Amino acid sequence: MRTLVFIPAWNEEASVTAVIADVRKSIPGAEILVVDDGSGDATAERAREAGALVASLPFNQGLGAALQTGYLYALRNGYDACAHLDADGQHPAEEVGRLLAEVTAGGADLVIGSRYHAGAVSESGDYEASFSRRIGISVFRFFLTLATRQRFTDTTSGMRAANRRVMALFSQHYSPDFAEIESLQLAVRQGLRVEELPVRMLERAGGTSFLTPVRSAFFIFKGLVVLLVGQFRPRQAEAEQ
Amino acid sequence: MRSLVLAASGDGAQVHLTSQTRIVAAVIAIFFMLLILDLIRRDRLQERYSVIWFVAGLGMLAGAAFPGLLEFVADLMGVRDTNVALFSIVLLLLLGLALNFSVIMSRQAAQITRLAQERAIERAQKQAAEGRNGNSAGEQALEPEEQSFEG
Repeated sequence: MRTLVFIPAWNEEASVTAVIADVRKSIPGAEILVVDDGSGDATAERAREAGALVASLPFNQGLGAALQTGYLYALRNGYDACAHLDADGQHPAEEVGRLLAEVTAGGADLVIGSRYHAGAVSESGDYEASFSRRIGISVFRFFLTLATRQRFTDTTSGMRAANRRVMALFSQHYSPDFAEIESLQLAVRQGLRVEELPVRMLERAGGTSFLTPVRSAFFIFKGLVVLLVGQFRPRQAEAEQ
Repeated sequence: MRSLVLAASGDGAQVHLTSQTRIVAAVIAIFFMLLILDLIRRDRLQERYSVIWFVAGLGMLAGAAFPGLLEFVADLMGVRDTNVALFSIVLLLLLGLALNFSVIMSRQAAQITRLAQERAIERAQKQAAEGRNGNSAGEQALEPEEQSFEG
């Protein structure tokens, strides 16, 4: 059983080393790949020094394209399972290991780590969500649940584990703009088993969320359009068959 | 001028293109198509993207040569003024072209992304192969530091 853990990173030189060390400690058997999404800083160098493989995109392509690079790498190189987590240190690798265990046990094709699922706890109190963020979360939750007829609590989680069926699908179809939500919708529509597990996440170490009220309104609007369009996409035959 | 005003205010009367407009339109259309040809000749425009422009140029020429065509279309649209019909057609054509460009742009954006991904993956695979020739990639990076710590 070969496992790949990949970390999409854009200008994360400050935190990427610690994240790699955390993954190596918590998921000893896994190969680690940092997908450097056109960083202008020393993210790639730090990752290489820390002993991770580095796939450097020549220019910034956005999270969706970076994640797809990871899935494509995992698919091409014959990994049986893969997982990804954020490079900013919010995702404890231990929890990623639990998601991977669920995938390798055959419980689901795609497992999402959820901050909001009942049973999830976050360190240093509650996961501090601003008003606009809370609205966004509930809107997406509602519409994704409506679209997939499956209950999702954390639609934008960047902590996931997947098997080869998911790799095959996501390496072909992955929205560059609205990666997290559309990919869930797509996976469910293609008949893959998607499951959420409650996970512990940390507060962001530094920096602020990119969401201002206007931006979140736009973000929500865009998300709804994407979901609506996604409902009309053809259901394809099994990706790998 | 007076006839135009009269025609426009008269009930049911059609406003036609003047022969001057038709000549100007024909000249513009011919120059336009010559420009397209020249752009192709100098490799500034690819043939596959030029077809639509030739169609536009020919349409313009046809409209100038056979004003009956435009009047027929104006009738179909329920527009009394042939000039308005002309503007509407051109506007729609431009809208279609802009959409066509967005489609082409999206396709090329997807191609560029895939190209970038392929290159990134190749480099990572190369790194992985080099790592396996020596020690495993992880230990290689850590060992020297640990040794110097002891010594």
